[in-house]
Amino acid sequence: MSVLEMNNIKKSFGSKVVLEDITLKVEKGEVVSIIGPSGSGKSTLLRCATFLERIDNGEISYIGKKIVNKGAVYPPKKELQQACANFGLVFQNFNLFPHFSVMRNIADAPIVIQKRDKEEVYRETRELLKKVGIEDKENAYPCELSGGQQQRVAIARALALNPQMLYFDEPTSALDPEITAEILRVLKSLAAEKMTMVIVTHEIDFARAVSDRVVFMDGGVIIEEGKPEDVIDNPENERTRAFLKKLHV
Amino acid sequence: MDNTRIIKKVLYLFVTAVFAGFIFAGSACQAKQEFIVGFDAEFPPYGYMDENGDYTGFDLDLAEEVCKRKGWSLVKRPIKWDFKDSELDSGSVSCLWNGFTMNGRESEYTWSTPYVDNSQVVITSSSSGINELKDLSGKILAVQADSSALAALEGENATDENKALAKSLKELQQVDDYNSAFMNLESGMVDAIAMDIGVASYQLSTKGDKFVMLDERLATEKYGIGFKSGNTGLRDEVQLTLFEMLKDGTFENIAEKWGLADSVCLSLEDTTYIDGSKVPAAGSQDNINSENNTGIKQEDETGTQDNSVVKAGVPKAKKSGIVQIIKQLSSGLAATVGIFVLTILFSMPLGLVIAAARMSKFKVIQWIAKIYISIMRGTPLMLQLIVVFFAPFYIFEVSTPYSYRFYAVIIGFSLNYAAYFAEIYRSGIQSIPQGQREAAQIMGYNRSQTFFRIIFPQMVKRVLPPVTNEVITLVKDTSLAFALSYAEMFTKAKQIAAAQTSLVPLFVAGVFYYIFNFIVAFIMERIEKRLDYYK
Repeated sequence: MSVLEMNNIKKSFGSKVVLEDITLKVEKGEVVSIIGPSGSGKSTLLRCATFLERIDNGEISYIGKKIVNKGAVYPPKKELQQACANFGLVFQNFNLFPHFSVMRNIADAPIVIQKRDKEEVYRETRELLKKVGIEDKENAYPCELSGGQQQRVAIARALALNPQMLYFDEPTSALDPEITAEILRVLKSLAAEKMTMVIVTHEIDFARAVSDRVVFMDGGVIIEEGKPEDVIDNPENERTRAFLKKLHV
Repeated sequence: MDNTRIIKKVLYLFVTAVFAGFIFAGSACQAKQEFIVGFDAEFPPYGYMDENGDYTGFDLDLAEEVCKRKGWSLVKRPIKWDFKDSELDSGSVSCLWNGFTMNGRESEYTWSTPYVDNSQVVITSSSSGINELKDLSGKILAVQADSSALAALEGENATDENKALAKSLKELQQVDDYNSAFMNLESGMVDAIAMDIGVASYQLSTKGDKFVMLDERLATEKYGIGFKSGNTGLRDEVQLTLFEMLKDGTFENIAEKWGLADSVCLSLEDTTYIDGSKVPAAGSQDNINSENNTGIKQEDETGTQDNSVVKAGVPKAKKSGIVQIIKQLSSGLAATVGIFVLTILFSMPLGLVIAAARMSKFKVIQWIAKIYISIMRGTPLMLQLIVVFFAPFYIFEVSTPYSYRFYAVIIGFSLNYAAYFAEIYRSGIQSIPQGQREAAQIMGYNRSQTFFRIIFPQMVKRVLPPVTNEVITLVKDTSLAFALSYAEMFTKAKQIAAAQTSLVPLFVAGVFYYIFNFIVAFIMERIEKRLDYYK
């Protein structure tokens, strides 16, 4: 069963069409990278999948359950909010809560929203921090952390809610190259645990290293998709080739 | 910091304040009939604040005696003289009894018979070279706003001579009270003051020979007690009691005490009111005839003898020391702090509600909030206070209880400050990155959780500097409550200044405001520091 299924998605801002008939399926345990030039609509696609933007047409399902019905029919607010529990999102600039400590950033939602036992959540949070490699920072505030450390907190925060899948919006764009390698390691360990992930990125090497499948988008449509070695190293489409060539220069 | 704990604390304070309000309201209900005398507390010797901070004066002593005899409880209500008609109409005072000139106002009030013969005189400094009225030509003359001196010079019934005199002046400068008039005169900013002779004598007695009174009179006139038009019942009761006091000599004694024995003119023979009606006879023993009249006179003499001790004349305004002034101001300071704390307590949460309305999805609500803010910020706070105070009467025709003056001050300040806080909150809320809301949304926080856990705490930190500005302004703005004659520190300071004919109380009040603000600024700084744990 697909974790995510998006069919015939259309989205415009005013008269500008941003997504044109996009269909995307993500299977359990799959790691999918969405690449493409800026303005291609890849970030908008991610925002539509996470309900931050409303689609104009199409349908969206999670774990086989229709959330947005054909013709972009959205469920009531409460139901939509519950559907958010299916996924986690790691923002490009992390969007950590600056007034919460690292511990609270991660533990607040499980305690307040999922109403779970405090001690249990704290214990799990410490394990998560260990997993992402910042177990000594639980009492720090986001402003005291480096970009890479903040990124890990953001990942731990998303994981703490036990989502079925994770979205990453440009996970490496705000980081130094050497830190990118560390984040790659975190993502790989998640992939090894069969975590389903969709990563929007413009960094080709990163996409090749982490993904099972690469989706190339341009002008609001999916141009090409397949195994990284095919799409990145052996692109069939002219636009894909032009994009990759530009990057390699 | 635990935000829920802060919110709980704020709620707790809020509820306590509301209960305190109820208790205030409850204690204001009294069974005994109240006789509320409206007076200008800066008008010695008729009504003013003495060196102990108590309201006293010739008229208040008379009122006290009337109440004693009638079994009423006297409420001495200092009012802003400009608003005397509104105060009377709205029923927040029973009468105006404060060296109140009848001439020119004959048909505007229901009057007692005249009890003081007063004249309008001109005071100038001894060195001015002004010896008669015509020397005033080209000079600056000060008068109190809405006073009989002003009416005598420029009113509808002013004599042609006086009108000509007013025209010949360089300027007719209206002042708020006689104390500031004298300060203007002392500092040479005006050349002369036109005022009631009784007040003038009192001021001269405390100022020594720096000033002189011209022999010529602008007008001769009489004082009466003014009641709301048509309120003849209360007028008659007071009138008959005054006659009783005249008969047994008490009236004369009180006049002696205040050095006004030569000015009083209350007479048992004068039994026709200015509106043409008759003073009713009060019981068989009180029928008014010449025989009785002589009897009264005899009693008068004994009364005078009894009172030889009191015969010291006008009680001189005792210049009290700084300690005394501070003591008197302290009660006003408590009122100031009360206005401040309650205004903060009500306006801050109200501001949040208005900010929410201002940012509402619904255009109608948005516009209502917009208009509200625009009016509150676009009109003077003093005017808003006046509107809040008088609106119940003039718009809804409800007469307001004694305690309403206090509520009007709090309501007026809270409504005004809430508008400013709303805009500060709005800018704070809008300055928080959209990403914070998006992160909360995806993590499953609902709208109120997002606001109270994520947005609000961050907003508090961001708005603290502009809020501090507003709070400090509020400390000083509390002095505007004087517009409603609410006895806060500034009102008190002005009254003491008037009674002592000195500026010192105002300076002391200034020091008090400064210290108050110093503490407020210190506390706000501490809060800001405590929120400094994140950026």
